[in-house]
Amino acid sequence: MKKILSILAVFIFAVVLFACQNGAKTEWKIVMLTDVGTITDKSFNQGTWEGVKAFAEEHEINHMYFRPNAGTKADYLEAIDLVVANGANVIVTPGFLFETAIYEAQTRYPNVYFILIDGVPQLGDYSTYETKSNTVNILFQEEQSGFLAGYAAVADGYTKLGFMGGMAVPAVVRFGLGFVAGAYYAANALSKTITFEAERYEYLGNFDDLPNHTTKANSWYAAGVEIIFVAAGGAGNSVMKAAEDSSTVAVPKKVIGVDVDQSGESATVISSAMKQLAVAVQQELKALIIDNAFKGGQTLIKGAVEGGVGLPLGASFKFATFTESQYTTLLNQVKNGTIVVPQTKAELITFLSQHAGNPSITPLVNRVS
Amino acid sequence: MYSNLITFLSLVLILAIPLIITATGGLFTERSGVTNIALEGIMILGAFTALIVTNRITPESVGGPFVLYLIGMFVAIVTGILVSILHSVASIKMKADQIISATAINTLAPALALFLTYTLTLGAPNDDKLPIFSGFKIAQIPILSDIPFIGDLFFRNFYPALYFGIIVIIAAYIILYKTKFGLRLRSCGENPHAADSAGINIYKMRYIGVSISGGLAGLGGFFYITSFTTSYHANVAGYGFLAIAVLIFGNWKPLNIALTALLFSTLLTFAQGIAFFPELERLVTQTLNINLNLISMLPYLVTIIVLVLTSKNSRSPKALGQTYDKGQR
Repeated sequence: MKKILSILAVFIFAVVLFACQNGAKTEWKIVMLTDVGTITDKSFNQGTWEGVKAFAEEHEINHMYFRPNAGTKADYLEAIDLVVANGANVIVTPGFLFETAIYEAQTRYPNVYFILIDGVPQLGDYSTYETKSNTVNILFQEEQSGFLAGYAAVADGYTKLGFMGGMAVPAVVRFGLGFVAGAYYAANALSKTITFEAERYEYLGNFDDLPNHTTKANSWYAAGVEIIFVAAGGAGNSVMKAAEDSSTVAVPKKVIGVDVDQSGESATVISSAMKQLAVAVQQELKALIIDNAFKGGQTLIKGAVEGGVGLPLGASFKFATFTESQYTTLLNQVKNGTIVVPQTKAELITFLSQHAGNPSITPLVNRVS
Repeated sequence: MYSNLITFLSLVLILAIPLIITATGGLFTERSGVTNIALEGIMILGAFTALIVTNRITPESVGGPFVLYLIGMFVAIVTGILVSILHSVASIKMKADQIISATAINTLAPALALFLTYTLTLGAPNDDKLPIFSGFKIAQIPILSDIPFIGDLFFRNFYPALYFGIIVIIAAYIILYKTKFGLRLRSCGENPHAADSAGINIYKMRYIGVSISGGLAGLGGFFYITSFTTSYHANVAGYGFLAIAVLIFGNWKPLNIALTALLFSTLLTFAQGIAFFPELERLVTQTLNINLNLISMLPYLVTIIVLVLTSKNSRSPKALGQTYDKGQR
């Protein structure tokens, strides 16, 4: 019931938005479908929508968003049917949950363009992949972002680390992988001793802001963890609360945010492992609508080279001793391939043995995926 | 180790407080014969208005964070009472089904709060979340905080909510069992016709019962939200419904409610916060090799077991959920 009402509310918003846009010059109509979560999740839905909005407003193109009833393939397809029937010809979908729905929809609507973020269309068995010429996939190298965050934390002097992911979905796993790799790479390169216990690497099971997570983060901080990288959407706020409450002890406890610059959420957030959704979405919309150079059928990887991942600079860069120029040096090493950040568990094991002094952290590595 | 234990216990207490307060609210309304499953919605709206007000006032301008906290509490209580009047008018005066009017409030609350936050830009622009002031924790009370253990637990690094929770439980016990008003209120929930013939105004008692529940639920919402997160998304994670479960589990008695809430919060805090006890954690995860997800199930498993064992003695108010009609006799 609550959901139906919120869908109605969103729909009314959308209609109002649409009505305001009547003076547009072209027949383009961009619709974004939200994944589980809302348009203000300070995470990938919001990032995607900001990209759509910025592009569409600049070029005066019809745009709206629509929230499917639930996060299932059937609901997603139903939403796609609905928005196509209402004239949508560009559909932007963030989240790997859309993979199966887009797999079907790209065939059902050959004249509609699809931009799928964080996923590749597949049949549902993770073996039959197909991306048609009307679809483009955008993947991010989250592991690079996690790596930069992990390196920065250790370089800044934090010695006890923790990681909380929402669920073990590909993007979150890559964030975690990169974080572990970055932390141990830095520990080896800068000759520091760090503690990253296997029990302090955990997938919470959801992306929600719950007292359970506040309690868990509190207990981690009490157990000595100094900084937690939380890649878990709304659960980030629970962890920030725990960091605020624990910061009366001698060492202030800190948080590293995820997806977007979360430094505004709490003073305890010293950095965020970002992926530039808004930038990537704008790039692909521009390629399609302005440059007429849609990269249909392709899977685009946005990493450090493309400016797709990184840490926020300026006021949001709150490290004490790790400087922006040190960060830039590191980023350049990732960009030019001096450091190849591992993407899978197997690569992580190789990476640790070759570039991080081969620390004996098998239990931790086994928690990654 | 000691400081971990203190943090653990203070988390147990602070998790129990919103449950205790909201469930005690439910106690008053149910003892008067009206079910109020709108507690969740009322918590949401109480927290919502309290945050709007507290976010617009700087602690310095009113004389410190504690005064601001009191203001937030006051606003939450008033909002809760106002919202609950919707429920009482519908279910007492209009004789509507008590479940339906309460469900309407539960449905309306999050949608209304999100809508208003977004359209009136109560938080950041283009955002439906409200920030939460983080300085409500009181660092210490001089002298008292030096008492060993008790001082560390109750007088150092605590949320004021702790005391209000204790006050509410004691007050509820005294009001229900030691005053004329309490006796009358309880009689309305057991046998309203008999009570009516004894000259008690059933409608008035029930209005009061529902209003108390609204006020306390609003307060519970404010306490919940200031204790557990940094940003409010019109969501109290089902704690209103959990409070109803605590009320039933606690057999409609104030002290049992407090114990039930404490039992649940202890188990939940233990399940999520096993890292407070590193030796135990190592024992569980490494020596015994137990999956931590099994530990997370503990609060729910124990609840079910205890419920099965105690349900025999459970007794709800007899006239609960029935609309009172004078002509029915």
